[in-house]
Amino acid sequence: MSANRWLATGNFFSSYREEQRIFATHFDRAVFAVFILALLVWPMCFEVSNKYMLVIDNIMIAMVAIIGLNLVTGFAGLISIGHAAFVGVGAYTLAFIARQMGDSHILITHFWPGMLLLCGLVGALFGGFVGLPALRLKHLYLAIATLSFQMIFQWTINFLPIFNQGQTISIGRVQWFGGEVARSDHYLFWYYVILIVVIMCGLAVRNLLRTRYGRSLVAVRDNDRAADAMGIHPGMTKVFAFALAGFFAGVAGGLHAYLYRGAGIESFTLHQSISYLAMAIVGGLGTLTGSFWGPAAIRLLDLQVENLVEWSARFMPANMNLATALKPLTFGLVIVLFLMFEPRGIANWWRIGRTYVKLWPFRY
Amino acid sequence: MSYFLQLVLSGIVVGSIYALSGLGFVLIYKSSRVLNIAHGQIIAAGAFITYTLTVWGGLPLYLSFFLSMGVTFFLAMSVERIFLRRLIGEPIISVIMVTIGLMSILDGIIYLTPFGGSNFSFPEFFPKTPINLGPVSISWTQLVGVIITFILIGLFSWFFKKSTIGISMRAVSDDQLASMSVGISVPRVFGLAWALAGMSAAAAGGIIGNITGLNFETLHAFGIIVFPVVILGGLDSIVGAVVAGIIMGVIQQFASGYLDGKWGLNGTADVLPYIILLIILLFKPHGLFGTHEIERV
Repeated sequence: MSANRWLATGNFFSSYREEQRIFATHFDRAVFAVFILALLVWPMCFEVSNKYMLVIDNIMIAMVAIIGLNLVTGFAGLISIGHAAFVGVGAYTLAFIARQMGDSHILITHFWPGMLLLCGLVGALFGGFVGLPALRLKHLYLAIATLSFQMIFQWTINFLPIFNQGQTISIGRVQWFGGEVARSDHYLFWYYVILIVVIMCGLAVRNLLRTRYGRSLVAVRDNDRAADAMGIHPGMTKVFAFALAGFFAGVAGGLHAYLYRGAGIESFTLHQSISYLAMAIVGGLGTLTGSFWGPAAIRLLDLQVENLVEWSARFMPANMNLATALKPLTFGLVIVLFLMFEPRGIANWWRIGRTYVKLWPFRY
Repeated sequence: MSYFLQLVLSGIVVGSIYALSGLGFVLIYKSSRVLNIAHGQIIAAGAFITYTLTVWGGLPLYLSFFLSMGVTFFLAMSVERIFLRRLIGEPIISVIMVTIGLMSILDGIIYLTPFGGSNFSFPEFFPKTPINLGPVSISWTQLVGVIITFILIGLFSWFFKKSTIGISMRAVSDDQLASMSVGISVPRVFGLAWALAGMSAAAAGGIIGNITGLNFETLHAFGIIVFPVVILGGLDSIVGAVVAGIIMGVIQQFASGYLDGKWGLNGTADVLPYIILLIILLFKPHGLFGTHEIERV
């Protein structure tokens, strides 16, 4: 690499260390810093209504969950049809504590960063447990194992009285320096919290993929026998991948519960799991940027579908519930079309667009 | 004792339908190694087509039953042709995800029809008085359903054992390369496997519809309960699917008969199969009759 990392015109690596850098040039790093700064500053410049803030918060929570799903499905190559259940485990960890100790217990209102971590750890525990069949079995059976975990989770929440039988369990408002976070600031406050969590998760995964474990994940996905021959334990690698995915999902679940100030079963059903999968596929499996594109794309599509339904409600008979029909239809179509025509997802378009801009006005 | 026998009997009734649904699932897996997650939707489609033809079309039940089997035959075949044919040779992960997408699409289409939102039930075709067999009793609908199920399972088994197409299907599941070299068109066999699975699904759907009434959520659940059944029986064993289907039906009846209401538990029949599934996956992943693949992970 050239001595001046501001002037580099291409990737000229002269050592493995250089290739492993997160930012190849100083310019990349500067762009990234400006971007993060812009994300932090923009809510102060514009007046954003709570409705849109909620949408943005939702997208970013999904990003945390999809980072986890992408680890297990994209990088380790194991399908998880129960990701919403892992998110639910996180949310219900919080809800369980709220139900046992009262929804405004000091642990929940003052100690919330710790609680988020706890949600993640419980999620990791469940993820590791469901991943245990990975010690003996391959993808197909693992997909079934996660599906059955989804069913068991739904039953547990729906039928056990300690979880309020699927009804919403409320969670109190959190405290920040200077008192309770008010109703008007609620979504803005959580925007900042979730943003920081997303950045931390993104950097953590980016760094994880540079480590021995991250590379062994990809090795196991591509050829587990070769990985085994190189001294990697494929089973344990997969179990850890499930545990990590469970951790991210659990954190996302904790954030979800805090944001909605409650947890109810309807956010963690099989349909939700499928829409998480759709997000991961649309974003691009096995890419980190895909974990950010996917949720944004799917949630925006979701909003468009809702708008369409509202618009068409004028022409349709009142007894027809178009929303329940169109949502699965669009998710399914998006999954199938992307798998058939663009299996590398939006992340690939992003990559193509970026190289185009970088090389402009030259082209291949 | 009569309570016990009654539970066993109704378990066999439910279980035989599981067996029929599991049969179609295993068929697809055995020939093309595709995990068809959209099976429940095909079952539901079959049930709804039967209902439409019988009640709104005014056809006799047996005719609409066969017609709906014909429709799903082509439905499943075209699903294979349009979506899965071009994924042959792709990694298994994308094939499974395409079936997940298919499940979602079919869900959406069914929600668009009137069947998505409300409950329907067939008119009574058989006498309402139950048949008393000593201490236990069974309704006419259930009895006829079980008999048809077993006839169909018998027909399918005969088809695989004796007919040329059946033999070529077994050949493909055994060794694709070898069967190609003796002149079997492997893609056509895949299509046929899907078509036959669609037929069996429609039959299962029609029978379920007659016994329990039509509710999309219930029919949908049949597609997911197929997983514990086929894992217990072994993913690639047709005998396994039949035996495990009946075992699973009886287990579910026992659960709702003996466990519900004790220790504050409810609806255990819905969860027990999945717990059994996880345990089997941990300790005996190839099920009762499945092939033991020698494979180290």
